This record gives sequence, C-alpha cells and structure tokens, in this order.
Amino acid sequence: MTTKPYADPDAGKTPQQLYAERTKRMADALQLKQPDRIPIQLGFGYMLAEMGGITRQEQHENGAKEQELLEKAALQFQPDSVMGLFNNPGASVALGDRMTKFPGHGLNPNGSFQFVEGEYMKPEDYDAFIDDPADWSIRKYWPRVFPELEGLALLPPLGIGAFGAYALPQLGILKAPPVVKALQALGRAADAQAVADARAVNSVQRMAALGFAPPTFMGSIAEAPFDFMSDTLRGMRGIMLDIHRRPDKLLAAMDKVLRLQLEYAIAFHRATGLTTCFIPLHRGSDGFMSLAQFEKFYWPTLKAMQVTLVENGIMPFVFYEGVWDQRLKYLVELPKAKTTGLFQFSDIFKVKQVVGGTMCIAGGMRNSLLQAGTADDVCELTIKLCREVGKGGGFIMTTGIGEMEGCKPELVKVWVDTTKEYGVY
Amino acid sequence: MNVLVEAITDMREEDAVRTAKEMLDKGTSPLEVLDNCREAMTIIGQRFEAGDCFVPELILAGEVLRQISEVVKPKLTQTVTQKKLGRVVIGTVEGDIHDIGKDIVTFMLDVNGFDVHDLGVDVPAAKFVEEVKAFQPQVVGLSGFLTLAYDPMKNTVQALKDAGLRDKVKIMIGGGQIDDQIRQYTGADAYGKDAMAAVALAKQWVGG
Repeated sequence: MTTKPYADPDAGKTPQQLYAERTKRMADALQLKQPDRIPIQLGFGYMLAEMGGITRQEQHENGAKEQELLEKAALQFQPDSVMGLFNNPGASVALGDRMTKFPGHGLNPNGSFQFVEGEYMKPEDYDAFIDDPADWSIRKYWPRVFPELEGLALLPPLGIGAFGAYALPQLGILKAPPVVKALQALGRAADAQAVADARAVNSVQRMAALGFAPPTFMGSIAEAPFDFMSDTLRGMRGIMLDIHRRPDKLLAAMDKVLRLQLEYAIAFHRATGLTTCFIPLHRGSDGFMSLAQFEKFYWPTLKAMQVTLVENGIMPFVFYEGVWDQRLKYLVELPKAKTTGLFQFSDIFKVKQVVGGTMCIAGGMRNSLLQAGTADDVCELTIKLCREVGKGGGFIMTTGIGEMEGCKPELVKVWVDTTKEYGVY
Repeated sequence: MNVLVEAITDMREEDAVRTAKEMLDKGTSPLEVLDNCREAMTIIGQRFEAGDCFVPELILAGEVLRQISEVVKPKLTQTVTQKKLGRVVIGTVEGDIHDIGKDIVTFMLDVNGFDVHDLGVDVPAAKFVEEVKAFQPQVVGLSGFLTLAYDPMKNTVQALKDAGLRDKVKIMIGGGQIDDQIRQYTGADAYGKDAMAAVALAKQWVGG
C-alpha cells in the first residue's frame, strides 16, 4: 500500500474556522454522534523534547520552550487537539515527594516520569484512616511521603479546631521550627503549582488561538476507589493482601474515598466550569484480580463514581489502562453517551462491538507501530480503525496511551493524514 | 490432598502456618514440609495459568511460604537441593522501576522448576552482561512497563552481543507496551504477553 499525494482538507482555513470545526468535531464524537470526520488528538508528551532536541527535564521545567515546541508540532501535523506533558515536577520537588521521580530529580535529565509505588499506608493505619481521613493524611501520611512536611507530625489532632476559642492555645505549635519549615515548604509547593496552572491555562488559550480544540483530559482527576487505596496508599502488594486479610476495612475505606473524591470533583467543576473528570484506571485491568473480586472490590464504586459525576454534569474521561477484554460487559451498565473510554491494549475492534453504543471510544493506534513499524503498517491499521471503530461516529483517533515518546514524526504524519483521508463520514 | 497443601491452596493463611508448625512439632521432617509447600505452589501456579486464581492469591501464597520457611529453616540440618530445569536471569531494564510483571514471571518460572536470578529493577545493560557471565543462564528475561523501555532493551541485547554472549542465551522480553514490533526492534528472540508465555518459552528453549 502506498499513500497518494496528500491534499490537506484544512488548508486555507482561518484559525477561528478551524477552532470552531475542531471543537464541534470533538464534541460530536464525545457525545456519541457522527461528526464530519474522525477527530484526532495527539498527546505528544516527551516526543516534543525529541523533536526539539532538548532534555526531558528542560521540557518539564521550561514552560515557554515546551509551548514553542507544542505549537510547532501542532502546526506541522494539524490534528484536532494536542497535548504536551500532563504533569509538572514543581510541587513534588518542593516537598521532596518520595512517590514520584522526574527527569533531573531522581532520574537522569532524559529519564521518563515515573510513579514510585510503596506501602505508604500500613495495615494498622486502616482504622485511623477510616475514622478521619483528613487528620490521618495531614499528620501521619504527608510526613511519610513528603520529607519536607515531617514537621506536620507535631500538629495536634486537626479536629481539635472544633473546640473554637479553647483550641487557640494550640496555635503556638505553628511556631515550632519543624512546623515552620513544613509550612514554608507548602508555600513553595503552592507557588510552583500556581506557575504550573498558569502555564496550562495559557497553553490551552494559545492553542485555541491557533485553531486547536482543548484536549479531552482537561478538568479534575479522580481514581477508582480501589486504585486510590492501592496507588498512593497501600501499594500493589499491600492491597492484594488486603483483599484476603481485611476485605471489610478495604471496602469501608473505599467508600470514604469515593465520597471525598466526588465532593472534590463536583466542587472543581463548579469552580472552574470544566466538564471533564479524568479517571486513569490501574488494577481493574484483566489479569490482576478475578471477576468475582472485580465485582466486589472494583466495579461497584467505579460505576457509582461515574454515575454520580454524570448526574452532576461532568463527563468521566476514563483511561482503561491495560486490557479490559474480559470486563467490557460491565461498561455497558454506564449511562449512554455520557462517558468516554480511552483504551490502551484492549482489542479495540471488540471494544467497538461491545461498548460502541454506550460510550465514545478513544485510542486505536499502537505506540509501538509509530516507533518501530513501517508507513504501510501504519496506513493499514489506520484505515481499518477508520472503517471499523470509526463507524457511525463516537470515536477519537489517538494513541493507546496519551504519550508519544519515541514515535517517529514521519509515521505520525502518515497516521494523521490517512485518518483525515479515510475518516470522512 | 495433604492438609498443609490444602490449607495453602485454599488461601487459609493462619491454618497453613499453624499446620506447618504442628507437623514439625509432631516430628515431620522439615524437608517434607517444604515438599508440601512446593506442591502447593505448583498447584497455585497451575491455577494461575488456567485463570482460576490471580495476583492476590500469588502474593498471599508467597507470604504464607515466607512465614512457613521462617519456621522450617532453624530445623533444617541439610541443604535442600532440587534438580532445576534451567537457569534464567531476569530484570527490569534501565530507567524503568516497575516490578509487578517481572515478579509474577519470576514466581511462575520458579514454581515451574527454573533457577531464577532476579536482578531487580532499573538494571543497566552492563549489569545484565556481568550477571550472564557469572550465572551462565540459558535464558535472559528483560522486563519493562513503559515505552521508554524499548531502547534500554535494545541496548541490553546489543551489550550481550558485544560481550560475545548473544549466542549463548535466548532472550525474551515482556511488559505492558511490548509486542512483536518491539521484539524485532530490540533484537530479542521472543516476547511473551504474560507469565505463562514466559514459562512456555523458557521450557521450549531449555528443551524441558
């Protein structure tokens, strides 16, 4: 198969025209409608550093440079929506965060962001966690995972604040040197986060001015309650043992984190007007637990979370990481046309058959193909995706993971151009 | 089925540890207790392979085994030698710190009779070369969860080639983002999509 000489259907349009068309194209797909053609979202990630010849550390830390590279790449490939990096090391570095490693901070300058799972919450912490997650988080957990916040362990129980004027004598502890140090670190982390937030908002505005629709990830972030307990608290080993050793406590804790995450996501939506909640899933994938365990520990709270978000006008954008082939039948229970699923390694054609009538599907292109495949391979898969997964709408073409490090620009171009040619409805 | 084997395979943790202690107290030889444990782990491995048990059970069984070993070890008067099918060096490649997949593969190779030398995570290519020289495995397993693992895998294969070791080992790769495209890219002999595939490949390669 060889590609024909390519004529870009968007050539000659103004950025305003493109922005209107692309935003509608994305919105139609998200609402399970058939747009004029299949929208394409490119989550460049570290591919920008590769294209620009800078280190990944510089990409994370030099916002102006990253924006310049994002604009250049977006204009070169002309997809509907683009994204650079999704996270920023500023606050983590300020707190000495033990659970993340960023390029240049625990990794070499060209390393790739990684999450360091650990048993940060011990089995004996369950009771205190369930009793008062706020107090436990701030006085016990933060000092463990953020070394700069060790001083917070000296604070009195936070609930003592309810003692009103009688609690005021407790304020003296705020002048103790370890507490002062912790509060200063929190201040530095907040400053770093404010810079990162401004950078993200500025980037979306700049991209809109150039004619690109906002990326689907924009909004709050939440996790399946099981993953919340696993990823940042108990760790994989701990949580898997909890399934057998303390199932009731695990379920009680999950109920707490379901409610507090919903409260946060709904408040975030009301404060910002952003209508998406990004939910990356981890341990629910095929292979980690049995279907019986999935039905007991994973799905009920994940479903409840999505249903409640939808009831509050929020669209869950769910990253079904790993393989969900054995679990697709559960997804059909979700409210129709109100959620989106990004599928990493599931059989995307089967996904379309089973959940195509329930949710917008994102994904399809394999990262490995864009890195190590040929133009013919890319073209062939793209056409198949357009014809089968794109059928009837409700499909956003993107890579299986929202990160394109190592992808070859010439193959990305073949992919995008082929989608524009064969993805027309 | 023996009471200890049954307790372990039924995931009755406390019963299993207590039964092992009682057996030792009644004069059962420590080697017999360990044999029962091995039998139980083989059954759990088979159930995992058949999709009848999953990661929580592998981890719990490993935990039970650790507790029983602690009770048995002080009573052991002779070293246990078991005929092994072959030797495997395994590790997560440089730059990647994910261990879950690698640990499951290690567990399954171990219960299937392989002598597995696990180098851990973020293992530089030079470390693989050093360990392959020292341990002389028939099989090398390279694990990686992130797409960033592609190049370190390729470099590790190349480093083994440069050290003149490539012909002496079969190399398998596996992990979240691995497929045949990446196998070709890295120059590995095969890729496995799960732990069972890793066991099948290793057995095929050592002629087991």
